[in-house]
Amino acid sequence: MIEITSLSKTYGTQTVLDIPQLHIAPGQTFGLVGNNGAGKTTLFSLILDLILPTSGTVTNNDIVVQKSEDWKSHTAAFLDESFLIGYLTPEEYFVFIGSLRGMKKEDVNEALNQYTDFFHGEVLGQKKYIRDLSKGNQKKVGIVATLLSNTQLVILDEPFANLDPTTQIRLKNLLKEEASASGKTFLISSHDLQHVTEVCDRIVVLHQGKIVRDDVTSTGTLKELEDFFREQL
Amino acid sequence: MLKRFLFLQWKSFVRGAGFATGLAQKILLGFGWVYSGFIFSALAFAAFYLVQDELGKDPLPYISGHLIYGFAFWIVLRYFLQKMPMVHVQPLLALPVSKKAIVRFGLSKTIFSFFNLSNLFFFVPFGVILLREEYSLFGVIGWWLAIGSLILATNFLNIMLNSIDRILILVAALLAGLFALQYFEIIDLAAWTTPLFMAPYNQPLWALVPLGLLMLSYRWSFAHFKNKLFLDNEAMRPKKETHRVADLGWLDRFGRISLFLRNDIRLILRNKGARASVWMGFAFLFYGLVFMNDIYSSPVWMVFVGIFVSGGFLFGFGQYVPSWDSSYYPLMMTQNIAYKEYLASKWWLIVVGILTSMILSSFYIFFGWETYFAILAGGVYNIGINAYLVLLSGAYTRTAIDLTSAKKAFGDKKSFNLKTILLSIPKIILPMFVFYVGVLVHSKGMGIAFVALVGVLGFAFRNLVFGWIEKIYQHEKYQTLQAYKQKNT
Repeated sequence: MIEITSLSKTYGTQTVLDIPQLHIAPGQTFGLVGNNGAGKTTLFSLILDLILPTSGTVTNNDIVVQKSEDWKSHTAAFLDESFLIGYLTPEEYFVFIGSLRGMKKEDVNEALNQYTDFFHGEVLGQKKYIRDLSKGNQKKVGIVATLLSNTQLVILDEPFANLDPTTQIRLKNLLKEEASASGKTFLISSHDLQHVTEVCDRIVVLHQGKIVRDDVTSTGTLKELEDFFREQL
Repeated sequence: MLKRFLFLQWKSFVRGAGFATGLAQKILLGFGWVYSGFIFSALAFAAFYLVQDELGKDPLPYISGHLIYGFAFWIVLRYFLQKMPMVHVQPLLALPVSKKAIVRFGLSKTIFSFFNLSNLFFFVPFGVILLREEYSLFGVIGWWLAIGSLILATNFLNIMLNSIDRILILVAALLAGLFALQYFEIIDLAAWTTPLFMAPYNQPLWALVPLGLLMLSYRWSFAHFKNKLFLDNEAMRPKKETHRVADLGWLDRFGRISLFLRNDIRLILRNKGARASVWMGFAFLFYGLVFMNDIYSSPVWMVFVGIFVSGGFLFGFGQYVPSWDSSYYPLMMTQNIAYKEYLASKWWLIVVGILTSMILSSFYIFFGWETYFAILAGGVYNIGINAYLVLLSGAYTRTAIDLTSAKKAFGDKKSFNLKTILLSIPKIILPMFVFYVGVLVHSKGMGIAFVALVGVLGFAFRNLVFGWIEKIYQHEKYQTLQAYKQKNT
């Protein structure tokens, strides 16, 4: 799905990301962990062609993202609130995003039915603009918008942050279901080791822009990760 | 305390998105100050000596009588152009800083606006001339004090206009009423107000009245902002404006582009800055009326008027494409949207705006068909050439517009960079040149036809030009994303 070769990003003299080689297979649920400044968002921004790499390339389904826009048709992402349109209501926003992916209004409404639990009655039918929703509810809107359509690749930056505990659990279940049922590839970053190990089947640790660990998730992974970060103290 | 505020202000200025890149525009801005200082001072000389020598009237009462028009114009100009005071309040609220100090700082900041200081360039030389021409010293001081107080009072009035819609409607109605009374010659404002503005000269004590007005307007805006200084202010207000536009389903027939058009219409209806820009475009429709008297003396101005009258939406709203989308630009860049589609939708929106202006301006037929044809030709030119130029300059504008705040889209220093200014010259100069060629070849009619023809030609090469603009946008994409990230003042 994603093929990264000798990718690096340098600001001035500081190299914030340096990945010689990374392959993410289709259908994988890929977790990215690391402390602040480890380069997680930089990596996602590079995959989404939001910033230019200093060297190297990102290939998304055999499409070099810096060369062609075709990867957009099968990729959905939610990094932060700049992926929301504040003056729309959530419904209007979903219809807009859905229509861009060839869904009709009815399809969108139908697809939204699956997420009523996740919204917990706080998002749909509120007659509020997205800009007037709370941070947590805004996040729900952004996450659901990426799941709504049939994209092969979903990229989520810190999806668990800002959510209330119940919703975090709902989101975990949701992501697990989506991943197993649809065969979508997920790229998820998080600070919460427990959530990531529960949801993802592969976990990569970024530290100062470099990949320092790359594990297939097993029962011992959480412990190992905790130990790793404890060593950084 | 003041020192700390100034420190924050300075940092936000120096570390703003526009600073590092914009040395050239800083110089340009400085040049603008010098230029306007020069013009205003020259105006002061002209105002005095032209009135004295050419009209043979006493300049002080004459100018005093006409100040009312100046103030009316200045209020309108301020409303559209002056930037509102923005202090980053949020981090300060929980700190041991009194709310009074915050508000006082925010309000005093506005005093140093171009719209206040530039008046000095006129009134200081004018006052000096008055003294040299042996007007009474105390009289001039009284007059000066009165005018200065009134100018600052309009500064605070403008702040209120921007925050309370009811006041805005009231003042707008008042101005419109005065304009109507003057226009239909029911009363002569100049004659009526001359004694009012002359009073502080004849008896300096009268200057206390405008001074009182100034105090009052300051108190008023101070009280208003102090009450507003709570974070939940926005959130607590009942949300009554949702779903202003139900569905806009009728747009669907335009295919995929309708998706974007629908969003743009919602953008305009639901955001103050966007709404203001459209109103401003609407006001351009009447711009031609200013020229109607002497339009025949210099035919080239016909085209100038034509471009402006038909291009209100283009200059008001189109100028800030794609900045309107700045707060969610990363979304647009990762969705299943080709740049070409995005640009085409913006282009269509602008074209619809121009066509609407062309239809609405049909009342210019009263001034003769030739005038209206000039406007139509201007419209065709706007569609065929200027609509591209606006998109092109958009690639370089890179001013983030924060839709959630009531901040003005205009007067923001970052929205002018050298490239945008350079790109706006051909929008106006070029058609005038084309027209002139037509006049030289044959006649005014031929000139108008030439302008329209160039527009049609531009329209014919649409695909070619679009491909080219698309490449530029693609190239500028990363810098634009970077700049939009910085939403500070």
